[in-house]
Amino acid sequence: MNVPLRFTKGSWQNWAGRLVLFGGVGLFMYRAVNEWSRSGLGLLVDAMIIAIAVTGLNLITGYTGQLSLGHAAFFAIGAFTSATLVTGKIWTPFLDDNIWTPGWTLLASAVVCFLVGMVVGIPALRLKGIYLALVTLVFTEAVRAIFKYDEFSGVTGGATGIKGFNYLPPSWTGLDGRADLVTWFFYLTLAILVVVSILSAGLIRSRIGRAMVAVRDNETAAAVMGVNLFTTKTLVFGLSGAIAGVAGSLYALKLTLVEADVPLFGLFGSVTLLVALVVGGAAQNWGPFVGAMFYVFVNDYARSVGEDPSSSLLLGWFVDSGTTINGLGGVTFGVMLILFARFVPFGAVGTMRMWRSKVVQVVPRPPIPAAAAPEAGAAAPTLEQGHNDPDATTQPAASFGNADSSSLGDDEDAS
Amino acid sequence: MSLFIERMVNGLADGSIYALLALALVVVFRSTGQLNFAQGEIGTFGAFVVSTLTLSGLPVWLSILLAMGVGFVVSAGVERVVVRPIEHRNPGAVIVALIGVFLAVNQLVSMIWGIDARPLPSIFPDEADSFVTVFGAPVRIARLGTIGVLIVVLVLLWLLFTKTKLGLAMRAVANNQDSSNLVGIRVGTVLLFGWGLAGAIGVLAAALLAPSAGLSGTLMLGPFLLASVAAVLGGLDSPIGAVVGGLLIGVTEAFIVGYVDFLGADMLFPVMLVILLAVLLLRPSGLFGSERVERV
Repeated sequence: MNVPLRFTKGSWQNWAGRLVLFGGVGLFMYRAVNEWSRSGLGLLVDAMIIAIAVTGLNLITGYTGQLSLGHAAFFAIGAFTSATLVTGKIWTPFLDDNIWTPGWTLLASAVVCFLVGMVVGIPALRLKGIYLALVTLVFTEAVRAIFKYDEFSGVTGGATGIKGFNYLPPSWTGLDGRADLVTWFFYLTLAILVVVSILSAGLIRSRIGRAMVAVRDNETAAAVMGVNLFTTKTLVFGLSGAIAGVAGSLYALKLTLVEADVPLFGLFGSVTLLVALVVGGAAQNWGPFVGAMFYVFVNDYARSVGEDPSSSLLLGWFVDSGTTINGLGGVTFGVMLILFARFVPFGAVGTMRMWRSKVVQVVPRPPIPAAAAPEAGAAAPTLEQGHNDPDATTQPAASFGNADSSSLGDDEDAS
Repeated sequence: MSLFIERMVNGLADGSIYALLALALVVVFRSTGQLNFAQGEIGTFGAFVVSTLTLSGLPVWLSILLAMGVGFVVSAGVERVVVRPIEHRNPGAVIVALIGVFLAVNQLVSMIWGIDARPLPSIFPDEADSFVTVFGAPVRIARLGTIGVLIVVLVLLWLLFTKTKLGLAMRAVANNQDSSNLVGIRVGTVLLFGWGLAGAIGVLAAALLAPSAGLSGTLMLGPFLLASVAAVLGGLDSPIGAVVGGLLIGVTEAFIVGYVDFLGADMLFPVMLVILLAVLLLRPSGLFGSERVERV
């Protein structure tokens, strides 16, 4: 295939491309925190929190192919762990009033959710596809019911939940207490999102990452090749849950309350995370971020269409200003999802990569010249061809590990 | 004893609703290999159509039949317009599209009929004194009627699948779409009919549930979830499994609410999770589901 631009991976052009991408996102964030209104910034923080959770979901559903509708449960467990610790409901050694600082609760949520995730991973050894999805979905609702259960209300607050925990930005940031809480929270969320994304990208390139993709593409073949299914699935479910738990923890800190009826903690939350993942692009590094941004901001736009149809592009011709149409926002968003699935089936990032690959191609570095390794000379050319075949990297990943998916186009470089 | 029978019948009646919905899910799964997330909402939509038709003076049974026709058209339309154009190799996109349909239909209902709950007349005698005595236990006629409807639907489906050419084609398509295409079955039409049939059954289930549960936009959320559990429990590709699973879930629910005081209705899903895991870990494809053999 003829492509106008072809760069070697790691060349200066490749790095320039990455710089433009990261610089653009950085500039966007900088402008957002300095110029946006409080409500807009709140939406952006929501989007980043969802992006963190979806990064977790991406590991297990996107890369390992285990369809999970249970990540709202990890989200809720993380949130409740944070809430109980921050309000001092659990006795802790070395702390007089049992009240944890928010930063440490994030870590505690990650540990708790990692352990729960490992346990949830065990059924995944037996169950496939929709069966696993349904079991994890019931798990979500079961966790929600347990948080609501009266007998445990000493720890979870029962049906009323836990309300009113307060905290301030740490003094070393120089931020002015309550007034800058939103700014502080924005930076905290952004930092965690960046760290989690880097860790996730690193994991995908590691030995475990290759095992994950092998399990997704063909479980039996992976097992035959020596991938330990038990370790891979439980470990990745644990990591994935831990990341979702950290996101839930952040969400609780943002809301400064938790109760079992928060929409994102139930069935709705699991569906939200899955939609954001698919819309952004499963098994893509940037997928969770783009998908979460799409979900939050397009949903907000759809809601505004419902509240004031006269201001929207199409309906403005038919509707008087000042009318509100009940349910129109939801219908708009539903139709948008249908259209998105129809025309962008591989997700925003997958489709963008497909377009980009028609203009620019990043090929792997050529192997060491034959002169440097004369003995390997005979075998090298065939290997080299296999590596340099550019068409192999242009196909986007078919998500969710069906036996028939022959996906090669996993996101290997960050740009 | 009479309390036991009453709870048993109530459980079976609720179970019949779940079984009908689960049957609809199975019919769709067999043709398209997907869980139809919008199944419950299409049912709710149909139930609201029933309410409008009865208010305009039509008898209840005729309203339900007409609304089932509407459900058939809507559901078949979803297959043709939303699901089929998506490349089938991408299950993620199909799920997102079906969630979109779920959301759109759910909100469309509140757009057309508002968010207030409304009553829906029952097709069966539903007065204060309309019950019969079974082994000394008073049992409402509407409950028995619901179970009766399930049996009738089952017989009709059995006749359709085993005695008609269309049923044969549906079974062939469920088994292997490519081969069916090769022997001259119009696969598209069969898929359309399967989805339509599921839509009609879903409307029937909603119309049977609404008189006792109250007709509102959230009518089918809980039942849909329990019906999917039932379908998975019985095996997603097995109609018998759907019925057994539905009745099992219904009776379990009635007994937990009735007899296990410390759990009650609030802790239904933890119990369902335990049951689901206990069954699926022994039989990963459900009680009656067929195991898929994969080549490597």
